[in-house]
Amino acid sequence: MKRVVRFKLNGEYVEAEVEPNELLINLLRDKLHLTGTKYVCGIGECGACTVLIDGKPVLSCITLAVDVNGKEVVTVEGVSKDGLTPVQEALMEEGAIQCGYCLPGFVVMGEYLLKERMEVSEEELREALRGNLCRCTGYVNIVKAFKKAFEKRGLKS
Amino acid sequence: MSVEDPYALLDKWLNAQELLVVGKDVTRVDAFQKAVGKAYFTEDYLLKEALFVKQVLSPYPHARILSYDVRKALDIPGVKAVITAKDIPGVNQVGYALPDQPLLAEGKVRYVGEVVALVVAEDYDTAFKGVESVEVKYEELPYLLDPLEAMNRNDILIHEEIGSNIAFKTKVVKGDVNEGFAKSDVIVENEYRTHHQDHIYLEPEAALAIPDMEGRITIICSTQYPHLTRDIASKVLGLPSSYVKIITPYVGGGFGGKDDEGPLVAAKAALAAYLTGRPSFLMYSREESIAIHPKREATVIKYKSGASKDGRLQAIDVKIIHDTGAYANRGPFILWRATVHASGPYEVPNARVEGFAVYTNKVYQGSFRGFGNPGIQFAAESQMDLLAEKLGLDPIDFRLKNILKEGSTTITSQKLDHSVGVGEALRKVAEASDWWRKRREYSLDTGRFRRGIGVGVAWHGISTSRGVPDWSNAYVKIEKDGSVTAYTGIVEMGQGAPTSAHVQIISELLGIPPTKVKVIFGTTDAPDTGATHASRGSSIGGIGVLIAAAKLRERLAKLASEILNVTPEEIMFKDGRVYSKKDPNLYIEWKDLIKEAISKGVELSATGYFFLPKGKFDDVRGQGFAYPAFSYMVVISEVEVDVETGVVKVLKVWPALAAGRILNPQQVEGQLEGAAVQGLGYALMENLVFDGKGRVVNPDLTDYVIPTIRDVPEIQKPIYVEDLFKYGPFGAKGVGELALIPMPASVANAVSHALKTRVTSLPLTPERVLELIRSSR
Repeated sequence: MKRVVRFKLNGEYVEAEVEPNELLINLLRDKLHLTGTKYVCGIGECGACTVLIDGKPVLSCITLAVDVNGKEVVTVEGVSKDGLTPVQEALMEEGAIQCGYCLPGFVVMGEYLLKERMEVSEEELREALRGNLCRCTGYVNIVKAFKKAFEKRGLKS
Repeated sequence: MSVEDPYALLDKWLNAQELLVVGKDVTRVDAFQKAVGKAYFTEDYLLKEALFVKQVLSPYPHARILSYDVRKALDIPGVKAVITAKDIPGVNQVGYALPDQPLLAEGKVRYVGEVVALVVAEDYDTAFKGVESVEVKYEELPYLLDPLEAMNRNDILIHEEIGSNIAFKTKVVKGDVNEGFAKSDVIVENEYRTHHQDHIYLEPEAALAIPDMEGRITIICSTQYPHLTRDIASKVLGLPSSYVKIITPYVGGGFGGKDDEGPLVAAKAALAAYLTGRPSFLMYSREESIAIHPKREATVIKYKSGASKDGRLQAIDVKIIHDTGAYANRGPFILWRATVHASGPYEVPNARVEGFAVYTNKVYQGSFRGFGNPGIQFAAESQMDLLAEKLGLDPIDFRLKNILKEGSTTITSQKLDHSVGVGEALRKVAEASDWWRKRREYSLDTGRFRRGIGVGVAWHGISTSRGVPDWSNAYVKIEKDGSVTAYTGIVEMGQGAPTSAHVQIISELLGIPPTKVKVIFGTTDAPDTGATHASRGSSIGGIGVLIAAAKLRERLAKLASEILNVTPEEIMFKDGRVYSKKDPNLYIEWKDLIKEAISKGVELSATGYFFLPKGKFDDVRGQGFAYPAFSYMVVISEVEVDVETGVVKVLKVWPALAAGRILNPQQVEGQLEGAAVQGLGYALMENLVFDGKGRVVNPDLTDYVIPTIRDVPEIQKPIYVEDLFKYGPFGAKGVGELALIPMPASVANAVSHALKTRVTSLPLTPERVLELIRSSR
């Protein structure tokens, strides 16, 4: 039996009819046309489908669409609504972008980490990002970019 | 000689001084779209009206197909078609090197996961139900999983028509190995084994076929060679090539895997679209991807080598066995590459190398970054360490005595006339890593944590192996407003060839900012540029772009010289302005020059075509011209081994590259780091496990483990030796595969150093390391 979910998506209220077993990633991609969120493993191992639900990172490939009813969801598209975030800027500057398929997950995690913490050690950073797989970059420039984003923010505050 | 002669143009830019854009860390033009999640990949083009395709897979490693019953499936509302081999309107033959492989199984299945039928339905769930309702009757056949067994048995034949399970053989014979071993004071003989590796490109295989777009079938798909993809799809459909168009949008990683599988995915989606008349979409799940698509080959390598007291290599005798799986695919080419690279980058006067690609009832092998080379370099470099030890020489000092240099001949007797920077790269990186001190110091470790330092040196021929024709081709046009559009068949799969290297080349030559340059990539509407594989996207792919842009520059320089009343030689193109080098006040704005060109009838479009000059290769003796040039890579790795748990930690890695001109250091660094970590994963943890029926038991990212951000070592800034290649754009050779190739050797040599016992098989999982420690006691 279909159900209606109402939630805030990237700052705007949306409503959608979903199956009880429908996954959030499919609702976002196929019905709401937000294709930034990517399918890679389907079992919550790679982090490419990460979105924020009420400010916390969640894997949309193992989350039911009905579970976001009444909540606030932010995707990669929502993260950069008001211009590039420090993490996005730094990823571009540090050459951390290759194929780009894993990147939405990293960008969303970056948004979360920047809001959650004032500063972060490299060890904490690696721990926070160990659920995000990348097969192109070897992570070297991703780590550089995240560090830079935190440093930049520190300068502003 | 015409000013538009390709050799003259290449030579002019090879020796250019004061480059403005090339050689700089220019941000690639696709970075922004990718950062904001607006870069579209194949799945992102999915149409609402598209049908979904799901595949019926073989549950048996080897079986005869007795019958199909598709009625139940077709009775399901929403199932539009069930397609089997007999429905193929064209030719059901997709073997690359040998004609041994059907697109859809015909008569027999040869591995668990082989595609038997396609179900096409209105939605994904219905297609899935359809797959479960297709009934295929099989008669199980005896099967073979071990290549050593398969090559010696003729009672079970995986391909009856060949009469043997050996799909292909290769050979290199140089000098006299018996004489070489007689001259040797030390001889080392070992057997090495390497395993399968899955690419785990993050984007699974996908294709969307749309009938009747532009009056032909258009296939949007994730592939590495649009023109080959088109040729295979059109052959399966029975249509002229020109009636099939391929668009390859951003590709979410390829690493070779989509060079093999991409065309097959496209052909299957096209088949569904052609037979139903509706747009059709096929995307593999991760589990299907791992079960179906070709893998890095597993190898058994028997290697004997000898050297004389003066530290000179005298002979190698090598037997290479590749487990090619159910189909030859690109196996023969992979085997050739392994065979001609078997010596490592050293001078060896006497060599005998024999290669065998052997069929087994497993998922077949295919292209993977390094293409047969990582396995053989692992064996060759292990042998180098063992010989050095027997001779009482330091491993790097021993290598330097034998390293290839200008004027050396390879084991195919090809004389290397230029662009051989490997010796310098090795010396420099040894110094940078403080090699000699660490090598001595770490030998003294005795506690629970033992340190080791190891080196891997590799060479990798640029372009296709032997005399196989290879070319570059591109089309560049200047628009009325002065912006530039370029067309190439090269795809963007993360490496950035069309979005950084090609853009920089055009920007450099025409003096306009990268933002004014649009490279349309991955389309069959561009001239056939060859595949985006073999580290050729920026290098070989860039030659055509350079020649086309250089032709346009010559024409515009002539026009500007007439307008400014100076010689064409003194004309400069920079920052949107064309001026005299002698007097920068004599100038014309780029935009105005283009207007002048249009009004005066100067042609503003050009193709850049270059056919790589090659020599002859004798396949029987394996002697002759193998490659126009080689790229070289050295990786030194420092490890720490916990002898109680068997856990290997790679602490630091020092890369050095000799690949000609570095077009964009930041991008090259990204390639080296990514390849090093992919190689590290292969050396330490990645392992495809097969059950007793040849089924992959770990086809997902829980059980097939790749490196995370916590597993990567500190990778030092690369050392570059810019040993210019005369036919490369600005002298560039290939980079993409390089750092992966010596990585297994480098790590294995470091672990061998730490444990004082020889590693001969991979991956170095804790279990294997503990076993190694136990067996060495």
